[in-house]
Formats: sequence, C-alpha cells, structure tokens
Amino acid sequence: MNIQEYISSGIVESYVLGLASKEDQLAFEQHCSVYAELRMAKEAFEQGLEKQAFDNAISPPLALKEKILAAAIHPASDTPAPDLKTMPSPHTRLISPVRTINFAKLLAAASIILLAGSTLLNFYFYYQYKSSATRLDELIASNQQLASNNSVMEARLQQDEKDFQMMGNPNMAVVAMKGQPVAPQSLTTVYWDKQSKDVYLLVNSLPRAGAGKQYQLWAIVDGKPVDAGLLGSDVSNGLVKMKNIQKAQAFAITLEVSGGSKTPTVPIYVMGQI
Amino acid sequence: MSNAVTYNEQELVLSLKAKDPQSFSYLYDNYSGALYTIVLQVLPDRELASDVLQEVFVNIWRKIESYDAAKGRLFTWMLNVARNLAIDMVRSKAYQNSQKNQGMPEGGFFDKGGNTTQPNIDNIGLKKIVNTLKTEHRVLIDLAYFKGYTHEEIAELESLPLGTVKTRIRSALIQLRAYLK
Repeated sequence: MNIQEYISSGIVESYVLGLASKEDQLAFEQHCSVYAELRMAKEAFEQGLEKQAFDNAISPPLALKEKILAAAIHPASDTPAPDLKTMPSPHTRLISPVRTINFAKLLAAASIILLAGSTLLNFYFYYQYKSSATRLDELIASNQQLASNNSVMEARLQQDEKDFQMMGNPNMAVVAMKGQPVAPQSLTTVYWDKQSKDVYLLVNSLPRAGAGKQYQLWAIVDGKPVDAGLLGSDVSNGLVKMKNIQKAQAFAITLEVSGGSKTPTVPIYVMGQI
Repeated sequence: MSNAVTYNEQELVLSLKAKDPQSFSYLYDNYSGALYTIVLQVLPDRELASDVLQEVFVNIWRKIESYDAAKGRLFTWMLNVARNLAIDMVRSKAYQNSQKNQGMPEGGFFDKGGNTTQPNIDNIGLKKIVNTLKTEHRVLIDLAYFKGYTHEEIAELESLPLGTVKTRIRSALIQLRAYLK
C-alpha cells in the first residue's frame, strides 16, 4: 500500500479526533505498528492539537480546583465510574451522572413529601377547627339558655319580693275567700290596701276556667256587686293587681263568659268577708 | 499554588495510575485550562462547563488505568474524554430543557458572542480554525466533532450520501492539519 497516500487521506486526524469508525480505527492501529511514518504523522498531529489547545487555554474558575480534587480523591459515594476501555470515540458515550439532574430529582421528591405532609396537616387542622367551632356553638347556646333562665328567675324573684313587701304592709287588709259548694277546695286571697284602695288577688286554688270562660272578681258594696276586674288565663303567678275599689264589705268570684259581665251570674266560686 | 515536583508525560501517567494525589494536582494545574477550552467549544455556558470539567477530571482520575500510551498522547485521550462528556451534557434532557426555557434557537449553542465577560468561543482553539473552512466542510465538522453525530446521522440530517459525508469530513480534516502545523 502507498503509505504516503494513506497518511494524507485524513485518516490520521479522523482517528486522533475520535471520528473514525471502529473498522478504520482497528486498521489504523495495525498500520501504525508497521509504518513509522504513520506513527510520526499521528504524533505530529497530536502535538499540533495539544499546542493549539494550550495556546488558547482559558483558565477555569479558581475555586474549581479544590472542588475537583475533593470530588475525585475523596468521593462522597463509591459509585463506580463508567467503563472506558479504549480511547473514547464519540459513539461510545461516557455516561456520567449530571449533578443538576440528581439535585432536581431530589428536590422534586422533597417537595412531594412536603406537599403530602402539608395536606395531611391541613386536614388535621380543618378537623380541629370544625370540632372547636361546633363546641363553641354548643357553649354559646347553653350560655344563652342559662342567661334566659337567669332573667326568668330574677323576674320571678323581684315579683316575689314585691309581693312579700305588699303582704307585710300594715295598711293591707287580707281577705281569705273560701270555696263555695260548687268548688269547695278552692281558695283565693284578696289584699286590699286601705290607703291607696288598690286591690291585689292571689289565686291559691281555682278549677280551670275552660274555653270561652273567665273568672271575674266582684266587690260587694252595700249589698251590691261591683266589677273588680277579670282574671287572665294564667292566674298562678303571684299577686295580680285588680281594679281600685274605694269601699267594700266582701269580695266574691264568679265564672263568666270571656270579657266579663255587668252583673254576676251564679254560682259563686269563692267568697270572703272583710 | 506551586508544585515542587515536575513530571514528564510518562512519569505523570505512572503517578496517576499509582493514585498519587500530588500528580493529580499537577495534572489539574497543567491541563485544566486546555481542557476547559475544549469543553467550552462544545458547551459555551461557563458554569455548566465548570460542572463538566469536574466530571472530566473525576473520570480521568478513576479511569487512568484504561489509558494506553501506545495509542496516543495523554492529552489526546483527555481531550476526547472532555469532548464526549461535554457533548453528553449538551444532549442531556436537563440541558435541552434549560435551553428551551431560555428560548434558545435550535443549534444556537455556539452563537453566544458579544458578552464581555465571556470570550467569543468561535474565536478560540480548533473552533477558530474550523471557522476558516468552506461552509460545506465547516457544517460537517461542527456536527461530527463538536456535536458528536455519527457519519450516518449527518448523512440523514444533511440529506447527503454517506460517501459524500465521509469524503468531505476527510478533506476538511486534511485542511485542519495544515493549519495546525
């Protein structure tokens, strides 16, 4: 073979730069072992390439050296580097882990874990919030119940205190009205203030009035009945203020149609003399 | 940092194979600039090129056993390690995605001139010489050498017969040798 022709075919550069095919590489290496001119041509091109690279060298960042020495000599993990048996050609890739990819994966994994954790916490806090809100509603309701009970009790207490003071008033005439034959168990009491002439009625016991009926209090003045007021349907709540009566000898209660009558009808339910 | 010890190439290779940390430090001091330039020609982003340079030196340190002095100079072996790792980075999904996000045009990796803190990569080293070639030669060398495509892939990309691709690359390489002398 004409070795000069072979040398000037471009195979030398192609081999050195890693652009030759597998077969061309093998053939070139064989020829090298035979022809000194070929070896010299290769050496010359390699030296030219090297000189050229050194003449144009760009210094990497200063801090990089320490980093690289640390990474190579004291690797953090003992992962084996990819195999590199022969002079590398561009078709046999060195697969090296790229730090940024691993970091991105790690970051993605970490953020998924964080997201899951935060979602769970959200559910937990939402549940806590819901049960707290329910408990608060219950407490507010029970507090309102207590407050309204309290105001009812207070009103009743005030009423009782007032009643009690009235009963203790020395001007007050107390008239016990006993049950008549139609309702022998009945009992009412009239408190008549002899100064102000006000009349208060306490219903101790009376049968239910029934629909369309209402009890009416009468003052007996010189043998004649005078209207002293109607009783409400609820008569069990302490003293009830009736009409002002200037003068009376007795009091009586009859059952009348709702709205009351001008003159009493029989029978008399309860009656008492002053 | 100064090294008291100096090595010739044969001594350096032997010390590296013996895993002598001092020889590795010497290797870095003497070759990092030239290898950084090789990486930058393929990958002009300085930060990423620094990452690749780290991989290059880690690979050299771990794989020095597989270097065969009979097949070529130490620098030629390291040059090809550096170029292949840089091409791997450019071809990686992560890099491709980052380029898309930056709206870089396809094949625009070598057009990052005009930045005062970064030298124009087109005007350094082999790249500068390649740029003096005829367009039909320059394009093929760019695809084969700086982007790592096989001759078959280039034939398909450029819609050329495989024989033409081989002939043009060979003839471009012959011109390169002339410039390197």
